Amino acid sequence: MLKIANLSKSFGTHKVIKNVSLTVGSEIRVVLGLNGCGKSTMLKIVAGILASDNGKILIDKRDVTALPPEDRHVGYVPQQASLFKHLSVRENIRYCLRNGRGAEADIDQLVEMLKIENVLDKKPEALSGGFQSRVSLARTLASQPHVMLMDEPLSDLDLAIKEKLIPEFRKVLKKLGIPVLYVTHDLSEAQLLGDRFSCMIEGVLSDADSAEKAFGLIRESISDYDLHGPAQHQLRN
Amino acid sequence: MDGSLMNKIMNKDLITILFTPLLFLLIIYPIVALLTNLEVPGVRETLMDGLFWDSVKNTLLAALVAASLCVILSIGFGYCHLFMRNSLLYKAANLMNDLPIALPHTVAGLALLLAFGRTNFGFAGPTGLAFTMIAVVLAMFFVSYPLAARAVASGVDQMDLESIAVARTLGDTPTKAFLRIALPALREALFSGFVLSFARSLSEFAAVIMFGGNVPGSTQVLASYVFTKVEEGEVAMAVTASGFCIFLSLILVVLVGQGRRRRA
Repeated sequence: MLKIANLSKSFGTHKVIKNVSLTVGSEIRVVLGLNGCGKSTMLKIVAGILASDNGKILIDKRDVTALPPEDRHVGYVPQQASLFKHLSVRENIRYCLRNGRGAEADIDQLVEMLKIENVLDKKPEALSGGFQSRVSLARTLASQPHVMLMDEPLSDLDLAIKEKLIPEFRKVLKKLGIPVLYVTHDLSEAQLLGDRFSCMIEGVLSDADSAEKAFGLIRESISDYDLHGPAQHQLRN
Repeated sequence: MDGSLMNKIMNKDLITILFTPLLFLLIIYPIVALLTNLEVPGVRETLMDGLFWDSVKNTLLAALVAASLCVILSIGFGYCHLFMRNSLLYKAANLMNDLPIALPHTVAGLALLLAFGRTNFGFAGPTGLAFTMIAVVLAMFFVSYPLAARAVASGVDQMDLESIAVARTLGDTPTKAFLRIALPALREALFSGFVLSFARSLSEFAAVIMFGGNVPGSTQVLASYVFTKVEEGEVAMAVTASGFCIFLSLILVVLVGQGRRRRA
């Protein structure tokens, strides 16, 4: 279980995360939010890539707030696949074994589940966007993380590919039964993937009963300022 | 000026019109002036001069060692640039990167002389490290290192930082992530850093002459050989040695060009 309590983060005077609390059990929790609302920053803090100003992060009741990323046992799937370009697909997926994580047998199973058997000897640059996403997910899952953090991993893909991949990803993630925190700005992605939903608006996290309701809250929050810029905003007021 | 003439000039691309003569006058013309002064007797005499070949050997050897040192140290700077940007060490290292560029190289030579000369390094010999090949290497290194460090820092800036973040979550410590993921991604930057610092080392004169001296056959490098020949009135030999320097520089330019093409 992942538990976030009273998390805050500022960059200079700009408060990006405002007192966020969240509990994620063995489910896929989708956080919907506009670009720049702080959802990626929240994931990076949970992964240990960024430090928070306040708050606590507990993974399976273990306080990991002060631990570096390598000691948290979280899986992080970034927006771009960010595969290791100098390594083959096989070496990418087996990377965690170098650090004594994961197991050979599980990796073979993942490769089969994500249908990447035929590209194992290729270099990442030779893969399509869809395959890069599959490999990125396999690489992370191979390390047997206790929590999965996914930062819009499908946002750069074509809609048709996305619609095909999401059910496959959901099947794999549900089979593992670990907490998944998935952030996106895409309603259809949230609908197809999530079990529970939240929305983030200017660094404030709120729960919602459904993806549609989360999206509705975001829509309501969009002001003239966001749509038309400062000049129109002033004009309308 | 007549308005229509001005329009004509503007239509003909004013920047190219200004740039072309300045390029020829200030860059190409001096090189051509040097090469047109090459004379067969001067070339023959220089190529027969053992001290010339000693200076070539000293230059290449010292520049090679200095550039290698530059790359090794710039890897350390790259690590700090990636993981320790808020640390005092990084801020100091960053400041010191710029200092040798702004310093007159005679000052750099004097600083090295005082640091590694007889007073502090008397145990290493009667003149400390000064006036030895080690001094030549250190002088070349001191003035060339910023170029390698800048090349590596720029490589780190262009790197996919998310891949480092992923490596960390897969169990890598910062050192492991740097060696396994960042360093392979910095190959081209390291190559550029090596070539740039090697080229800078080849051309160094002031710091080398202050700290390494200009002992023919011992610490004399190509730049100081040219200087000595001009002082002795052997201009034809100085021109030949200079032509050789241009030849070496051209090889480096081609190497850098190939590196860029490979990157592209």
